[in-house]
Amino acid sequence: MNKVITINLNGNAYQLEEGGFEALRAYLDGAARRLDGNPDRDEIIADIEQAIADKCRGMLGTYKTVLSAKEVGLIIEEMGPVEDASAGADADPAAGATAPGGTRPETAGTESKAVPPVRRLYKIPHGAMSPGVCNGLAAYFNIDVSLVRFLFLLFTVFWGIGCVAYVLLIFLLPTAKTPEEKAAAQGPPPTAQEFIRRAKEGYYEGMKAFADKQAHREWRRKFHREMRGWRRAFHHEMRANTRHWQQGFVPHWAPGFQPGIGAWFALPFVSILRAGLALLWIVALVSLLATGAVFGVLLPAGIPVWAGVLCLFAFYLVLAWPLKAMRRAYYWNAAGGPFFAPPFIYAFDAFIGIGFVVVLLWLAGHHLPQIHEAFRNIPPLVHEAVNAVKDWWAAR
Amino acid sequence: MGVNEKFTPIRKGLLGFLLLKIISADKVYVADILRQLKGTEFATQEGTLYPLLSKMRREKLLDYEWKESDAGPPRKYYELTARGREQLRETSDYWQRISGTVKSLGQPPAS
Repeated sequence: MNKVITINLNGNAYQLEEGGFEALRAYLDGAARRLDGNPDRDEIIADIEQAIADKCRGMLGTYKTVLSAKEVGLIIEEMGPVEDASAGADADPAAGATAPGGTRPETAGTESKAVPPVRRLYKIPHGAMSPGVCNGLAAYFNIDVSLVRFLFLLFTVFWGIGCVAYVLLIFLLPTAKTPEEKAAAQGPPPTAQEFIRRAKEGYYEGMKAFADKQAHREWRRKFHREMRGWRRAFHHEMRANTRHWQQGFVPHWAPGFQPGIGAWFALPFVSILRAGLALLWIVALVSLLATGAVFGVLLPAGIPVWAGVLCLFAFYLVLAWPLKAMRRAYYWNAAGGPFFAPPFIYAFDAFIGIGFVVVLLWLAGHHLPQIHEAFRNIPPLVHEAVNAVKDWWAAR
Repeated sequence: MGVNEKFTPIRKGLLGFLLLKIISADKVYVADILRQLKGTEFATQEGTLYPLLSKMRREKLLDYEWKESDAGPPRKYYELTARGREQLRETSDYWQRISGTVKSLGQPPAS
């Protein structure tokens, strides 16, 4: 049983399943955004709504009055992505007649690039201090390089994550060498086709190494053994500590507790949990700022948005605290005390956390149209936000 | 990469020309156009077609009128303007020259 939503497409009412409604809304929003600045935008959107309505009608009958999410997906696929024909470098249908000699360099010389140069993350060594990571990020988000450098520094000094992320990016990002790559580093944001194309090209070739069955099984067996050992140690530890917890609520970890390799496996899980929590918090924050509701729950009337943000933050801190404490406990045990944990443990931890978030975001961007649309909007949004702060600073 | 992808930009550029050709033959609405292009190398989708048509209308190459249909709401039927016909003629000539060049180059010299 699914919830049904009635929509108005260019003057006609249609009933869609909720999932279909979401997908259709994302499609039409995306179309409207891509046609932004086109003087005929509203008319084109009306035409497209009419075409969708025609297709909907074709699928409905006397005994079928609701469109399933799958059918809506088929319709969207049939419609195809909306491309703004008058946007910049797009092929001019009359170019052949009006400018016979004007062969454009990008159509002449790019055999390998039939796809338009959408924006991609690159290292841009030109004008950079070191490998160009900050430069590339700045181009991607269209903000000042100094700000990116400052953020990396901030994250390095306070949490150490900046350093790890920087090193990762040095290895992961390709360098923009050819003119096309340089153009792509600053081009329009990527689309779904681009992601699919990259996947097809074997962009993620590295993942195949895991297909080695024998190594995989070996790894899993070892992992289970470690987990069992760790669980036993943990139960033992919990029993031993119950007394301490009951008295005075002071966490006291027995000095004899050696987490061994088990902790190396438990630590990533705690990190992943925490990363997931942080992600959830960011999603909640964004949805609060964008729609005034958190996961569909509206703020009570009379409570301003900033108070809602504060509440969310407090809630996040409360939830994250035990995880944080657990992580700290592991560091203590691994190092024999506070502040002496060898840096590579932090690096390992950060690596797992970042990796998890990246994989999660990639999956979400690949499979959920709304999230995908949201990703497309990140660069301009960051740009706007930074500009707003800059204006505020200048006007102060 | 296949020939198909290599010619993507060329097909894209030719689409406007083909629309002029299709519309010059008869008043058509979008579903007609899609049907005519379907199965050819130029098969396309509404998402591409509507923005292109509206751009061509803005360039005064074509115009449309609403016509009642027996199976649903009124439809937009497109037709060429004088300027569109002029453009079609020029483009056709130019296309003739191009395809002539493509054919003749690389042939043994006719004697």
